[in-house]
Amino acid sequence: MTCRAVRHRFSEHRDRALDPALSAAVTAHLESCPACARDWRAFNDDLDLLAALPGVESSGEIAARVFDRLDMEGRQPGLSLIFRPFGAARPLMLPSLVPAVFVLMAVLTGALALNRGPEPLPTASTAARAEAWDGVLPPSGTESNPLFPTSEVSVPRMRSAETMPGYLLDHPGEGTVFLETVVARDGSVSAVNVLGGDSSLPRSVVEALRRERYEPGRFRGRPVAVSIYRLISRMDVWGTT
Amino acid sequence: MASGELALSSAERSPAAEPALVESCRRGDAHAFARLVALHEGMVLGLATRLLGDAEEARDLAQEVFLQVYRTLGRFEGRSSLRTWIYRIVVNQCRNRQRWWRRRRRAAERPLDEISATDEARLVAVSAAESPFDRLAREERARRVDSALRGLSFEHRAVLLLREVEGLSCEEMAATLGLPVGTVKSRLSRGREGLRRGLVSRGGERP
Repeated sequence: MTCRAVRHRFSEHRDRALDPALSAAVTAHLESCPACARDWRAFNDDLDLLAALPGVESSGEIAARVFDRLDMEGRQPGLSLIFRPFGAARPLMLPSLVPAVFVLMAVLTGALALNRGPEPLPTASTAARAEAWDGVLPPSGTESNPLFPTSEVSVPRMRSAETMPGYLLDHPGEGTVFLETVVARDGSVSAVNVLGGDSSLPRSVVEALRRERYEPGRFRGRPVAVSIYRLISRMDVWGTT
Repeated sequence: MASGELALSSAERSPAAEPALVESCRRGDAHAFARLVALHEGMVLGLATRLLGDAEEARDLAQEVFLQVYRTLGRFEGRSSLRTWIYRIVVNQCRNRQRWWRRRRRAAERPLDEISATDEARLVAVSAAESPFDRLAREERARRVDSALRGLSFEHRAVLLLREVEGLSCEEMAATLGLPVGTVKSRLSRGREGLRRGLVSRGGERP
């Protein structure tokens, strides 16, 4: 039996687990081989040293700790009132949070839908378009773009009453005419427009209206052209005669 | 209820008294369970300390072990001895705790040769009559053995401790660890070789 084979069987030889013939062969080799005998003694010494390791002193508190744990677990219903999880301690919190979240989302959605940003500043093209309109339209308060009587624009007052048009005096009858008279900045009548009514008024009537003179209307003290509207009834004319 | 204060008679320590003790514990007898803890806590603490390499962890684990014993004693069928059944719980809990450490990348288990003065004070002297020199030499040897033991894998360490310290047979170890007897013998042989190599590499001269 070789030294290697003997050393390979040290563990079983120590446990007396080898069959008798093999055990006798190992013993014989150990008696004849000093090197293997030395290793065998060292092998056993190491393991005896392990077996002789000092134990660990018990504190005697383990049973008490176990009973404390069991006692605490036995009182779980009472303790759970204090140490139970957050959700379990507040059972109504989650159900009440769900509708609250929906309401909050609806409010936020409405706010976002209604939230319109400030009006955008006029872009260069918008400003250019406004200037273009200014170039097309004449200035306000002129004869070609008259103003209308308002709280700030005074009504032109007639200076001298002209005589009634001869046509109306010659042909009294019924019927009315609706006229626009544009009083210029110098008080003259720059335009007379027939807007409705009897369209058969002769030109002499219009000419007679053109000859009227007014104290011009004023805007912030400055004379401006103003449009005035008049409804002339022939019955009135007839009544004046 | 401090089990350490219990003075156990030789009759209570005998294996014949074990079934009655187990039966009393199953009925919820607190004193019987305290006696059971007093009977086995030294073994549990020693084995857990050697397996984990940390006396405080072992103390904490021992509490968990006896808690599990209390809760599962009803399922103990008595086919093996109570001690063997408790060995199995200890080894399984130590293995689980080591895996827990590994998952959390615990730097390194505290080796026993770096055991603190507090832990060392708890080590029970084998002989009270030894001289200071012998005591120092013994402690030095114990440190080297512990260090070599720490160099082994958990499975080799468990087999070696169950055999050499607790004195279990290969069949009992196989039942405890849930392994075939051949596997246990193989691990035991490799564990012994590993321990020897570790002692030689750490010691210089043989102890």
